Amino acid sequence: MKRVRLGLLLFLLVAGSALLAPWLVRHDPLEPDYRARYAAPSGEHLLGTDGLGRDVLSRSLAGGRVSLLIALSATGLTLLLGGLLGLLAAGVGGLTDTALSRLFDALLAFPGFLLILLVVAILGGGAAQTVLAMGVAGSPVYFRLTRGFTRSELRREYVLAARALGAARPRQLLRHALPNFVGSLGVQAASTAATFLLVEASLSYLGLGVPLPTPSWGNVLQDARSYLTRQPWAAVGPGLFLAAASLSFQFLSDGLRDVLDRRE
Amino acid sequence: MPAAVAAGTRPRSGVAPPASGGGAERNRVSRYLLTQTLSFVVTLWAVLTLVFFAVRALPGDAATILGGLDASQAQLESLRGTLGLNRSLPAQYVDYLGDLARADLGTSLRERRPVVRVLLDRLPVTLTLAGLAFALSLLVGGLLGLLAGLRPGGPFDRATLLFTTVALAVPEFWFGFLLILLFAVNLGWFPVIGLPPQGLTLAATWNLLLPAVTLAIPRAAQLARLARARVLEERGSDYVRTARSKGLRAPSVARHIAANALPGVLPLVALELGGLLTGTIVVEQVFGLPGLGLTILGSIAARDYPVVQGVTILAVTVYVLVNWLADLLQLAADPRLRAPS
Repeated sequence: MKRVRLGLLLFLLVAGSALLAPWLVRHDPLEPDYRARYAAPSGEHLLGTDGLGRDVLSRSLAGGRVSLLIALSATGLTLLLGGLLGLLAAGVGGLTDTALSRLFDALLAFPGFLLILLVVAILGGGAAQTVLAMGVAGSPVYFRLTRGFTRSELRREYVLAARALGAARPRQLLRHALPNFVGSLGVQAASTAATFLLVEASLSYLGLGVPLPTPSWGNVLQDARSYLTRQPWAAVGPGLFLAAASLSFQFLSDGLRDVLDRRE
Repeated sequence: MPAAVAAGTRPRSGVAPPASGGGAERNRVSRYLLTQTLSFVVTLWAVLTLVFFAVRALPGDAATILGGLDASQAQLESLRGTLGLNRSLPAQYVDYLGDLARADLGTSLRERRPVVRVLLDRLPVTLTLAGLAFALSLLVGGLLGLLAGLRPGGPFDRATLLFTTVALAVPEFWFGFLLILLFAVNLGWFPVIGLPPQGLTLAATWNLLLPAVTLAIPRAAQLARLARARVLEERGSDYVRTARSKGLRAPSVARHIAANALPGVLPLVALELGGLLTGTIVVEQVFGLPGLGLTILGSIAARDYPVVQGVTILAVTVYVLVNWLADLLQLAADPRLRAPS
């Protein structure tokens, strides 16, 4: 429970400061100030300024809003996609099950980052496209988990009892089977969110994710790379926020798993 | 399960099960090899089919890119004819598989030479980088995991936990930034970017060390975590207690633990090795290294789809191949898997 609380606190801190950024910081994340280029951290600019004199703290917070939104939406999508199709495959069985299983096997046989890169190349860069690409690439894991859990739950006696009482398949799946493993999916989802944060950063760093000028942690870091030796501070700020956010998801995932383990 | 018990108490034995079971084991193993090989072929086919459709879904076709903006409709049509793009999708698919079987990956639109040549030119940089990173992550990750797992809760274990937590919380290119600042800018031990003009020479391999360390950091961390967990599992088992109570010294016990714990790490090692070919993309960009990663990025931007397809085919083939080999290797390393279940 300690780690869950720590993770939650860290997440609220990062997400809260990102959301409340307009009221917390004085500088516009996009507004250049040519007299204050390459400034070291000071009272005016807590994390320094970048090559155009933009405030690194403001940009880290604004970037966080975009990056967190993308990572969380992609996690939701991948959970929905893999989870629903996993329930469907296990619940219907037969040809549907075989076809879906083979499809997700093929997806799983693809190196993940390459798959995301290709989907983004097909759809073009952008926030929505990044979400879709990561959602698809992450789904095989959830399909497998959900399908496996559901199949084992459907064999249990309480499901048989529900069936005997006349519960239809959708009700057996959603009301009876799903609640028994939704916690395990949550553990996995928190760890996926941490991964997606890093993947989004890499994509945007490569210029394939969120296009400038909208700041995300990845493209702020891409920008920082071009004058890294002159102004390391521009890379430090967003990196620290990114680390805090992905750590919070890691803590949540580990903590939730411990809680579930103890309950069993 | 006599064989499993024997293997459990005598980890490194490798002793064949009782004579009567010898033929049966061989049968089981060859059946396993056959199914694994079949599933390898099917997976490879499925993945290559996925690549075919993915590349055809990319915006704009080769004719519009070759023809340029001011090509007339008639010119485009004739280009499509020579490129075989006006044929039906199934016909193109059959051609695609036929070309693959002959290791013909088409012609680069940008460089006007066979894709295979382009790949062969860029492969040495990526392979050296991936090889170095792999060796580093295996060595560091395996060692950290083993030593941390042998003394859980100790100072070394805590230090390892700190390392793995941080290493997995930040994108790898950020460590690349730190390494550049520290070792290239401040200490001047390495060049800040790229390779010398003559390309990858033995001396230039030095330039690949920072990128290799960058790549290795998160992979070593992941490996260390899994290895530690496996070692912890083995530590509690009966054969370890027996070995200790009969007075076996710690290094020998550790050797037994390692022999039992490490085969379980192989699937992850395979995933990492297979993924390294595409894992280099970001790091090549950070350090300006002309390998496969920069090639695929440049080809996506220039819509040089034959090259995008070529790099993808190479990467997924290696990925599937490595995972298949890891299954076989695990079978060779862990006699328990050969026992009847």
